[in-house]
Amino acid sequence: MTQAAATEHHEPVENTSTGLNSRKLMMWAFLGSDVMFFGAFIATYLVYRGKSLVGPYPSEVLNIPITSVSTFVLLMSSLAMVLALHYVKVGEKNKGTLWILVVVVLGAVFMGFQFVEFREFAHLGLTPRTNIFGTTFFILTGIHGAHVTIGVIWMAFLAYGSHKGSLRPDSSLDLEIAGLYWHFVDIVWIVIFTVIYLISATDGPPAGMESILHG
Amino acid sequence: MANLWQKITRHDGNGWWNLPHTAANELNPPHEGPIGGAWLSNMWRVVTHGGVAHAGPGFYWLVGLALAIITLLEVWLFGVEGLGGWYVPILLGLSLLKFVGVVAFFMHLRFDNRMFTYFFASSMIVGTLIFTIILILAEVGHQPPN
Repeated sequence: MTQAAATEHHEPVENTSTGLNSRKLMMWAFLGSDVMFFGAFIATYLVYRGKSLVGPYPSEVLNIPITSVSTFVLLMSSLAMVLALHYVKVGEKNKGTLWILVVVVLGAVFMGFQFVEFREFAHLGLTPRTNIFGTTFFILTGIHGAHVTIGVIWMAFLAYGSHKGSLRPDSSLDLEIAGLYWHFVDIVWIVIFTVIYLISATDGPPAGMESILHG
Repeated sequence: MANLWQKITRHDGNGWWNLPHTAANELNPPHEGPIGGAWLSNMWRVVTHGGVAHAGPGFYWLVGLALAIITLLEVWLFGVEGLGGWYVPILLGLSLLKFVGVVAFFMHLRFDNRMFTYFFASSMIVGTLIFTIILILAEVGHQPPN
């Protein structure tokens, strides 16, 4: 069988104008719009990077070791997600449910890290109203956190459905669509971790301010 | 040049790192491997699935391991001094690697209908344009008036 014939044989042709499943296409379209959404917020962070006139500055609050652990946790949740989809597709219900639960737990752990980080920042005097760094940082990471929260709730429902037996191989598209969302949340964090944490972590007062601050 | 373009973009046989396109709903795509041609794909199958004809969950574990190692490398680079102007490009490169790894293999875009790839790629282009325009406008806006 040629590759084209194999593809034709396996891929279900949906009764839509594109021949694709509308729900899956809708999720990709949503993710496309979310790319622009997050792109605008990351650009805004960079525009105002290093322009805070008062502290705390990134170098005083960002904790790279802790955030590295939470990044690792989110990455591993993506791995758990793809394993869950695999086992649901092959009909191994228990393994599928277990891996969806792992996604829920790891997502909740990531949220916990973010909560602790936000609380620590507030303790150090950094809130969205303190300076321009606080505003852009909290908006960007807060919106990402909201995405994670929605994802965790969504996965919890799917875990329940899988446990009850309503999530079967023939309805695995439900999990696949949720998985697309979850992986997207992961790739957004990959960018945030690099741009906001690793690249900006040594940012202090803007040029010229240090001499004023320290005489 | 045209041949190179076809090699990179074709989905019907040898596009994207020389890997054949597989059906969207096929379990354990038979030639799933991140890089290389038939030899490396075969080696990958041997490594990930005990020599059985296709990659299984082991492949995803290996992708996850690669992502974890790249993250470790990023964090290690954070503590390295003397990289100078190379620090940001290296980090962005590593970040791009992770991004592509998740999109291509965890989101199955590599093995799905090409329409989804076009959807996501076009939104990435528009998103990057928005990103660039905001940065340019901010830079121009901060220029002192003549």
